[in-house]
Amino acid sequence: MTEAVLYITLFLALFFQIFALLTFLSRDARMRRDKQRIESNFPHVAVIVPCYNEETTIGGTVESLLTLDYPSDKLDIFLINDGSKDGTAAVMDTYTTHPQITVIHKENGGKHTGLNIGIERTAAEFVGCLDADSFVHPGALKEVLAHFDDPRVAAVTASMTVHEPKNILQRMQFAEYLAGVALRHIFAAVNGLYVTPGPFSFYRKSVFQEVGGFRYGHQTEDMEMAMRLQKHGYKIENAPRAQVFTQAPRTVWALVKQRTRWTSGFMRNSYDYRGLMLNPKYSVLGLMVMPLAVLAIASGLALFVLFLVDTARFMARIITTQGDVPWTHSLTLAFPQFDWFYLPITGLFLLGIIGVAIVVVTLYIGKHISGTKRSIALDLAWYIAFYSFIAPLWLLRSTRDVILGYNRAWR
Amino acid sequence: MNPIQRNALLALAITIGLFITMLAAVDYLNNARIEEIGRIEDKIALDTLSLETQFDLLAEAPCKEVSEGSVLSSELNDLAARLSYTEDRLGSDDEEVIKLKRQYTLLEIKDYLLMKRLSKECVDLKPVFVLYFYSNEGDCPGCAEAGYALSYLRETYPKLRVYSFDYNLDLGALKTLRAVLDIKEPLPAYVINGKNYNGLVSLTELEDKLPLELLATSTATSTKKTN
Repeated sequence: MTEAVLYITLFLALFFQIFALLTFLSRDARMRRDKQRIESNFPHVAVIVPCYNEETTIGGTVESLLTLDYPSDKLDIFLINDGSKDGTAAVMDTYTTHPQITVIHKENGGKHTGLNIGIERTAAEFVGCLDADSFVHPGALKEVLAHFDDPRVAAVTASMTVHEPKNILQRMQFAEYLAGVALRHIFAAVNGLYVTPGPFSFYRKSVFQEVGGFRYGHQTEDMEMAMRLQKHGYKIENAPRAQVFTQAPRTVWALVKQRTRWTSGFMRNSYDYRGLMLNPKYSVLGLMVMPLAVLAIASGLALFVLFLVDTARFMARIITTQGDVPWTHSLTLAFPQFDWFYLPITGLFLLGIIGVAIVVVTLYIGKHISGTKRSIALDLAWYIAFYSFIAPLWLLRSTRDVILGYNRAWR
Repeated sequence: MNPIQRNALLALAITIGLFITMLAAVDYLNNARIEEIGRIEDKIALDTLSLETQFDLLAEAPCKEVSEGSVLSSELNDLAARLSYTEDRLGSDDEEVIKLKRQYTLLEIKDYLLMKRLSKECVDLKPVFVLYFYSNEGDCPGCAEAGYALSYLRETYPKLRVYSFDYNLDLGALKTLRAVLDIKEPLPAYVINGKNYNGLVSLTELEDKLPLELLATSTATSTKKTN
């Protein structure tokens, strides 16, 4: 049973990975990588920063926006305080006199309501959002706007990586985000994106008039908006060199909470937009990306459960077999002399090695196209060693939430 | 065909190609394992025949050539470990595994008979025999523990000669051995230095039946009995 599920999962995963690599090498992806940032005819843009209890990071976020390499008379910044209970309002108020910045305080209503207020207030041609725990590279805005050259492009996402990863968990996420950078770039080339992440995604403002503003979206308003744009036949692009840095959770529990929100949001929004799924009209998104994302959740859960069952059986067998034989005997059997005969080479092992190798290649693609300078060897090691043991925690939690109809608080 | 469809078909072809190549590589490795076992069996068969021929040529036991911990014995142990590993990988129903297991069982019986013959003739040769009959068909819940305990005993007492037999193996010589030694269920069943036992599972139970004083002595090359 476990072996059959593993083989099916590996087949689908390898197919997906190889398709992604082939797409990376395609002319469409190369064109996107070669696209140069805009240096003239700067459009009027606005960046909305919705905040809820972000007193420690909001200052850095605003300062990074103010250092953007962009004409200041063409860039407006909206700081929306969504009823914060900490010192966020006070930090925000220090910017009220800044000519580019508009500070708005409102009752708590959720992130989507903050974004919608900003959209209503601006006359900009393009509207971006930036989570209040994220920071942008000075050149990011010019990179993003270069990808709005096609009128069917409704949104452009940036290349998001982890801001100054310190502990093992953050370094693991750093590697994961680099894979995300690569995959977002690759699947933008075939219009296969189903999320426009909070950190520095931009929208053509006129599109909101047609599709409407942000919605609650099961606490993943960025996913709901992206799926809605896809449903209306728009394109979502990616600017691979537009660097944005976000704060990654520092503890396992914080990570599990964040990912539970993302995963349950994906499941619920996928159900709301089930018309996209397996629909040839939506090409790679409908036939590959979304169905495989659902299958990845299902197989992740199945493999975790089977792993637990198999481990329990194995332990029971070991204990039964051990009897009164000293445990030291197990050690002599566990470390036999090297002999090719006993190499644990199976089809799953070899295919797994290929899968891991492609993951490594994907991460280095992400590192290359995002312009990341630091070495990622150790981040990669943590990612491969730990990710598959932690991910089942949020898969189980989010699946339970969706099945039981349970809605959790944002934090 | 648009570029997306072309890439999807190419990705599918590459994935299928990788699966076929990897499974073929594993199949090749498994065949190499089977060949390795066959090669070891051939070597043991030749060594056994050589010893028997020496016996016949000299018209007496070639005591100087053997000891309880002979090369033949360690090769049989090595063969048993490899066969067990291969059986775990390919399954006990695999035709090649069954064939190799039959050959191994025959070699075990021949080694047992030869060592018995030698022990009668050679004064210093006092081997301790354990004939262990097990089953893989789910009717012997204690066999896993017993097999593990025996592997420990074999490692602890290198002079102990353990012969393991699959009780249900379809082999004429094994059926005859069972009849001659009067082996009956329940399993696991044993013959330990000529005495029959059933149901021993734990290390303590097995160790109690072993003549530890014989196993504890060191053995040099044997000499012929004078009377």
